Amino acid sequence: MSALDELRQLRHGGVQVRKRDNKAAFWFLAPWFAGLVFITIGPVLASFGLGFTKYNLIQPPKFIGFDNFARIFTDERLHNALGVTFTYVLVSVPLQLACALGVALLLDRGLRGLAFYRSAFYLPSLLGSSVAIAVLWTQIFGAEGLLNRVLGFFGVEGKGWISDPDTALSTLIVLNVWTFGSPMIIFLAGLRQIPAVYYEAAAIDGASKWSQFWRITLPLLSPILFFNLVLQIIHAFQSFTQAFVVSGGTGGPSDSTMFYTLYLYQQGFSRFDMGYASALAWFLLLIIAAFTAINFWAAKYWVFYDD
Amino acid sequence: MSRGVRRRTALTVLMSLTASLLAACGSGSEAGGDLTAEPVTLRFSWWGADDRHKRTQQVIEMFQKKHPNITIKGEFKEWNGYWDSLATTMAANDAPDIMQMDELYIASYAERGALLDLNEAKKHLDTSNFDQKALATGAVDGKQYGLPVGLGMYSIMANTDLLAKYNIPVPDDTKWSWDDLKKIGEQVSKAGGGQVFGVQSPGINDTAGLSIRARQQGKAMFDAQGKVVLPPEVATQYWTYIADLAKAGIAPPPSVTVEKASAGLNQSATATNTAVFGFWWNTQLTALTAASGAKLKLLRLPGESQGKVGAYYKPSMFWSVSSRSKHPAEAAAFVSFLANDEEAAKILLTERGVPANQKIREAIAGQLKETDKAAKEYLDTVPVSDPPRITPNGASTVDAILKRHTEDVLFGRTTPEAAAASFIKEVQSEVDAAK
Repeated sequence: MSALDELRQLRHGGVQVRKRDNKAAFWFLAPWFAGLVFITIGPVLASFGLGFTKYNLIQPPKFIGFDNFARIFTDERLHNALGVTFTYVLVSVPLQLACALGVALLLDRGLRGLAFYRSAFYLPSLLGSSVAIAVLWTQIFGAEGLLNRVLGFFGVEGKGWISDPDTALSTLIVLNVWTFGSPMIIFLAGLRQIPAVYYEAAAIDGASKWSQFWRITLPLLSPILFFNLVLQIIHAFQSFTQAFVVSGGTGGPSDSTMFYTLYLYQQGFSRFDMGYASALAWFLLLIIAAFTAINFWAAKYWVFYDD
Repeated sequence: MSRGVRRRTALTVLMSLTASLLAACGSGSEAGGDLTAEPVTLRFSWWGADDRHKRTQQVIEMFQKKHPNITIKGEFKEWNGYWDSLATTMAANDAPDIMQMDELYIASYAERGALLDLNEAKKHLDTSNFDQKALATGAVDGKQYGLPVGLGMYSIMANTDLLAKYNIPVPDDTKWSWDDLKKIGEQVSKAGGGQVFGVQSPGINDTAGLSIRARQQGKAMFDAQGKVVLPPEVATQYWTYIADLAKAGIAPPPSVTVEKASAGLNQSATATNTAVFGFWWNTQLTALTAASGAKLKLLRLPGESQGKVGAYYKPSMFWSVSSRSKHPAEAAAFVSFLANDEEAAKILLTERGVPANQKIREAIAGQLKETDKAAKEYLDTVPVSDPPRITPNGASTVDAILKRHTEDVLFGRTTPEAAAASFIKEVQSEVDAAK
């Protein structure tokens, strides 16, 4: 039925029924809607207002204009936090997507027990940003952790990877790469969409596996890759738990794991500067929006839609 | 006529209703009022470990037996979570009635109007057995925002078992200098062969250590107005010392130091018998002895005999009442029970520090364990000078700032001079920002 037909039917028959349906739908949606308004939209709007105030959580907020936003440009620790966050996003997301695609390609070849492997590789994504995994990470990368024991086997002397500012961020990047499960599942679904005839035709023409990948798989998968890229970049910018747990909430050593969100949290809940924390939250929104906009702009040049 | 009666009845009913409403408001809504006979529920929150929770719960039950109409709901967390949750519940106007408060935070909560001036509840709160100097540690601008629970002193814990093993005599702490600690530490590290180190690196949760260094030279961290007056030379000297310890192998390698620092008391070098000398509060002796299984001896800090006396009594924590508590009188009565009741004290003992209440301190003396006795004796005998000003509003992050600068120095990301300058600047800006 075309949309026009549907519209016609709406106008004439069944209007009463639909009205009743809409009412029922509204009531079913109401709890969710209340949650959206009071738990999400309300605080979001409030934080916008608070961004222009000095608010220490107890005394009433005091309007201070754009001071909080001006501070963003002079706050050196924030600039360091931005550096840490950008490094984290720009290194871990491409690595994570490469891993996801690699494993998806392997699984797509139809090996036995596919369902098991798919679940096994997906599991870390479910657990990745949980406290338990972050605790596990400190056990693996600690001075007396698993990694150093393995290294010790080969006569290599390790160090406290998490407690050394030169390597602490890398351990978090590895953690994020490890949670490649959810983009992998999406890649797998995308690979299934590519018609087998293309490959058959290419094989008959004598194309190697390698050029099949570059000429068929990658272009046809590019919309999926784009989708994953946008999603994972947004996700990575919002990472918090890993750094919080691994550094014991400090962002240390030497601010080397100070994610933007962790810094924001500290401003709000350790320094009681909710106004600045709110301003930071909106600034993060701008950063993520900018990255997403760049992504969409760049997509014109490399994403290929097969229709 | 009948109408008149009815009107009068209505009026009486209305008046008595208003009166009872007012009475209901009056009962317990003022800190100086009488204790109510109505059922009241108070929320009481503290941070700490299992042992503390058990003891505190027992004391709560004792109080409830004496005041059957008052129910105390205990809420407890570990240190970090405690402050996060206190900040948020305060903001939500849902703060607990009675809370365990720390020296780092008391000014920032008091100056934001979150705490009750306990003098308003004098009627229910007996402070007669507290030393004036001890009481003063919980006052801001003449208002008593916290009642000190226990006292502690910053000290060095020496593992005498390890010293005996290496044939190194226990140093004479009435005379030793900071250089002496370095020398003995070096001997230990040599004997320890990479497994045992001389000194557990200071510089982490060690604001007291820096403050004492300044006090030994007649200086201080903050002046009475809360301005940072720490001389850069003192801070430079402090971080140079820490860097030297690490470079010479007297302290464990930096990454080990940093890792152990975030792992908690049981993973510390003192608790794992991997360093002989460690900086701790004297009241932690019992917990550390239990964790290490070794014999630990409390020593005075180095440098106490060369210059001025830097040591001081630090209130280990305070009892504070929320300014928004609906039942401040009952809350004060409970605080008074915690601070003054001998039966309660015999359960709590020194778990929250050597009691600041002098009468209680003597009352429990007979019941103390060996290590608790040693902690009490340390407090009773080691010379002290006037306590420093409490951490000003805004500077509750000073420990975190100190730790970050120590990490920068240990990993060679900055020099002690630069760390000193940056530390002073940052703490000052935190104090300014809170105004």
